Formats: sequence, structure tokens, C-alpha cells
Amino acid sequence: MAAKRVLVPLSDTVTVRQTVGYAVRAALEETDTVEFHLVAALPYDAAVPEGRSLTEDAEQLLTRTENWVEEDVDDTDATVEIETAVVGTNEYLFGPRDFAEVFEAYATSHDIDRIVLDPEYQPGQTAQLIQPLEREFDALGLPYEEAPVDRPARHERLIGGGTERFDQLFATFWISYGFYLILGDPTYPFDLVTGAAVAGIVSISLAYVTFTFPLGRLRSPLRTVRFALYIPYLLYEIVKANLAISVVILRPSMPIEPVLTRVNARVRGGLPLLALANSITLTPGTLTVRADDQRLIVHTLIPGARDDLFDGALERAVRFVFHGRSGARIPTPRERDDTEIIGGDDV
Amino acid sequence: MIDQLQFWAVLLCLAFGLFFTFVSTVGVLRLPDVYSRAHTASQTDTLGAGLSLAAVALALGWESTTIYTVLLLFFVFLTNPTAAHAIARSAAESGITPLTAEDELESETPDDGTSAPGDTAVNAGEEGGDHA
Repeated sequence: MAAKRVLVPLSDTVTVRQTVGYAVRAALEETDTVEFHLVAALPYDAAVPEGRSLTEDAEQLLTRTENWVEEDVDDTDATVEIETAVVGTNEYLFGPRDFAEVFEAYATSHDIDRIVLDPEYQPGQTAQLIQPLEREFDALGLPYEEAPVDRPARHERLIGGGTERFDQLFATFWISYGFYLILGDPTYPFDLVTGAAVAGIVSISLAYVTFTFPLGRLRSPLRTVRFALYIPYLLYEIVKANLAISVVILRPSMPIEPVLTRVNARVRGGLPLLALANSITLTPGTLTVRADDQRLIVHTLIPGARDDLFDGALERAVRFVFHGRSGARIPTPRERDDTEIIGGDDV
Repeated sequence: MIDQLQFWAVLLCLAFGLFFTFVSTVGVLRLPDVYSRAHTASQTDTLGAGLSLAAVALALGWESTTIYTVLLLFFVFLTNPTAAHAIARSAAESGITPLTAEDELESETPDDGTSAPGDTAVNAGEEGGDHA
């Protein structure tokens, strides 16, 4: 029987050891000749400043895992080959689809039979990737299985050291205290005392949940100010779009032209993408149907709304909020060819 | 004079708020499929609720409770797109194909005489009706 080829995507998690153990066990139950492909995917281009150290980390992880596999195989009489690889070093991997595509390319070129996934798989510093990744694997038709592992309960997400923790506590405390006083009465001493107590409890228990990213002492307040500037602009856009849609709806002929479009937004990460997708939905005439990383599938109702979307005014405004004025100076989605009109079947 | 102005401002805001809620209702009734209806449903929340809450704020005047209306509007603005997106996405997940202009255009301007334009137009219309 031909050798079975098993692909295990690796990242440095608490369950990676168990995942490898399971992959070995499960494969050896079926056949005696197995080829293990241990692959680490790098989210960043190797040319970025931290690229070298990231690559070294990945290689160390691979060496460690290789030893584990050898350990596990040692007391059996199976023939096992191990191959390791670091993939994605020449491109940026932004989201689950990019990772899935990289693994698919690897699986195809190495004729992989099965993929064993670590349930805690987390290649970047960002959030867990396992569910969207599995969806992408389903879409690509790759067979995968999730390793059954025992994992310790996940406590606070630790990022950074003392000053970052303090910043998070500080920000959470004042946000919750401020909110409490808005609802209460800032001149009433009782509210001031209870508010401080509540804000203290909230910030100690929830600061790590609220901010999963490090705060910048200058950048974060600045973003808040720019967000405050963004709101009137968004309101203006909403009023404009509302009027346009109302005119169309009230015309007896109702000249709508529903079209599904795909826009690749130059906005990255959880919060900026959320702000953009929500703003698009909030303006009548454009509706985010799917937000798949930066690929937004937007349903547009009238040509005017579609043109606005392709001109990317909201995208620029969101970039202004998160990256400042220089970040807002980018070509429109239409100019950089990131727009596409797709058929209704491609949802 | 100020009271007069406040009265009329409140009335104007309320009237326009009601108007946009009305338009939104008309839109939900007239538009063909679930995706296009989701567009107009958000009108109620944005301008309908927005202007009504503005009227409330104006009627209350400069009081601490006025802040609540602003907060209310803020949360409506957060939840409305989330809900609209959830509806659109679940529609997409359950395989509802949006009725697009291409379907209509193709059926209206056939490039050759072989296809029967009337049939396809009727089909497209029925499909939209089923989904909605």
C-alpha cells in the first residue's frame, strides 16, 4: 500500500503537542508507512522587520515537532518519513482564505491524503483562526479533521507586560466610569463613589477582554478623536443615501438596479473592518452580505450607491480614523481595480 | 420666540422621522427580494429613529436625560447594521440568490432571437417573489 501522507499545520499553541500525538496515532492505526508533513505558515512576508525572527521561531517549532513525531513513532515498527516546511514566506497572509490557499497549494503539490488541524491553531498574533479556516477548507474541498485534545481553560489573554496592562486597566476604568456617570449624576457624591467601585471591578475583571490589542498612549486617544470627526460625516452620508433611496422607492416605476459586487477593501483587522462593513450597511443602498476578511460582498440597490461604494469615500474615512490623514490618501477601489460585479449565484 | 422655534423644530423632526419610516414601510412592501428589503428596513432605524430621537431631545431641552437619547441613537446605529448583515448573511447561507439587474437586463434585451424573453422575465419575477 502506498504511503499515507499527512499534513499538520503548526503554530505555537498549548495543544500542538497533543495534535501531533493524535496525528501520529491516527495515521499509524491505518497503515504502517506514513509521510508526515509538518508545515508552519508565516502570516508576514519574510522581508518585514521581524521576518527573520519569525522564521527562526517557526523553524524551531518545526524541529521540536519533528522530535515529538520521532518520539511517538519510536516504539512502533512503522516506517515514517518526516518533512518540514515553512510556507507563506514570500507573501502576506491576511486571513483564513489566504492560509487555506497556501495549505491547499502545499497539499496538491505533495499529494496529501489528510490534514490534521490543531483546534487552537493560531498562526498570527491575531485571533483564533480555526473556524473560518475550516470553512475555507470546506469551500476548497480539502479533507481535514480536527484533533481531539484536552485543553486547559483559557484565562485572560495575556499580551505584553506591565505598562500595557496598566494602559488597558486605565482605559477600561475611565471608559466605564465615564459611562456610569453619564447614566447617573456626576454631581451626586453617592454616584461618584459607587461609580468608582463599579469601574474598578469592571476594569480588573474585563480589561483583558475589552482590549485584545495593545493600546498606544498617543494613538488610541487620537483615534477616538478622529472617530468623533467621522460620525458627522457618516451621518451626512446616511442622510444623502436615505434621500436617494426614498426617491427611488416612491417613484411609481421604482427604477432599482440590484447588483451584487465584490470590493476588496484596503482596511485590515477586526475593528477597522467592522467599522467599514457596518458603515456600508448603515447607508441605505449598500448592504454587506458577506465580510470575508477584506473581501466584502456588497449588495447595491441603485447605481448611485454603487458608484459611491466604488469611489470608496467611506473606506477612506475609516482609514482616516485608524491611520490618520496620510492613511486616507489612497486610490479609490475603482482605480486600483479592486471592484467586481458578480452574479447572484456567487454569494 | 425661542419656544415657538423649539415647537416647530420638534414638529419638523417628527414629521420627517415619520416620513422616512413610512418610506421604509413602502419599500419593504414594494421591493422584490429579501436583500433589497434589508436595505430599506435600515432606513427606519437610521433616519426614522434618528429624527424621532432628535425630536425627543429637542422637546426635552438641555437636560441630563437628553444624553440618553443620544446614547440610544448610538446603540441603534451599532445594532442596526449588525442585524441587517445577519439577515443578509443568513439569506446567503441558506442559498437565496439575490435578484440582480443582470437577470432583468438579459431578459429585456436578448442578444439573439432564440430565447423567449417574456418567459425568463416572468421566471425571474416569480423567483424573487418566492424568496421574499
